[in-house]
Amino acid sequence: MTLSVAIFYAVAATVLGAALLAMTQRNLYHCALWLVVSLFGVAGVFLFLGAEFLAAVQVLIYVGAVTVFLIFGIMLTRDVMTDRVPRFNRQALSSAVVAILVGACILFAVRSLPPGPAADIPAGASDLSRLGPELLLPEKGFVLAFELVSVLLLAALVGAIVIARKDQENPK
Amino acid sequence: MTSIPLEHFLVLAAGLFALGLFGVLSRRNAISVLMGIELMLNGVSVNFLAFARHWGWATLDGPVFAVFVITVAAAEVAVALAIIITLYRRLRTSDPEAAADLKG
Repeated sequence: MTLSVAIFYAVAATVLGAALLAMTQRNLYHCALWLVVSLFGVAGVFLFLGAEFLAAVQVLIYVGAVTVFLIFGIMLTRDVMTDRVPRFNRQALSSAVVAILVGACILFAVRSLPPGPAADIPAGASDLSRLGPELLLPEKGFVLAFELVSVLLLAALVGAIVIARKDQENPK
Repeated sequence: MTSIPLEHFLVLAAGLFALGLFGVLSRRNAISVLMGIELMLNGVSVNFLAFARHWGWATLDGPVFAVFVITVAAAEVAVALAIIITLYRRLRTSDPEAAADLKG
């Protein structure tokens, strides 16, 4: 058990513990903060997996934009009159059972896997220089998805503005 | 870091997915539901990358999919929050139970 492996277990425990707290806290703002901790931990897990670019993207976009956006939403929809809102709905217990069963099903499905390549991973195999061509070269197959995702982002941008703007009476 | 076996990453991913699913199904605030969705998407990304590393990065389908997951999650959060804010303006609450008009 080297130090890095021990750190991985600590990070994994942090991720799961913070996720559990994020899903069970009464104070919504605390939930968002625990989610930030969990997502930082996931970025650490990405580093253990050797995907440095994805760790950076995770911190930039998930922690840096998505959670900030969630906190904006929390601030804008906070009902200051009621502090004792219920946390869980009527099916909380059965949904906990369902969630545990789903986790168990996933683990059951992957319980016996063929071993990976025996040789160690060549250095630079997961480099960013290999990821760029995947997304942009036509012969690699992801360029269509890349373009569609950019259109999706534009549509989401326009759609969010249209949905959230105040109703306007058109005098004309 | 190749000494960490694949199964440990898969357990972490399954745990994240299960916790997110619990949040989505049981919380009474729409933004908490959104946070559960984000946890589920992160679990999926960890799973993809763990398998990509397991096969020695032979193909880069895993990281590319993880990039797309993050991008689509960002777009989805934008639209979902716009919807939640609009719902809050109409119903004065962000409880999904209050928006159950279509329920049988």
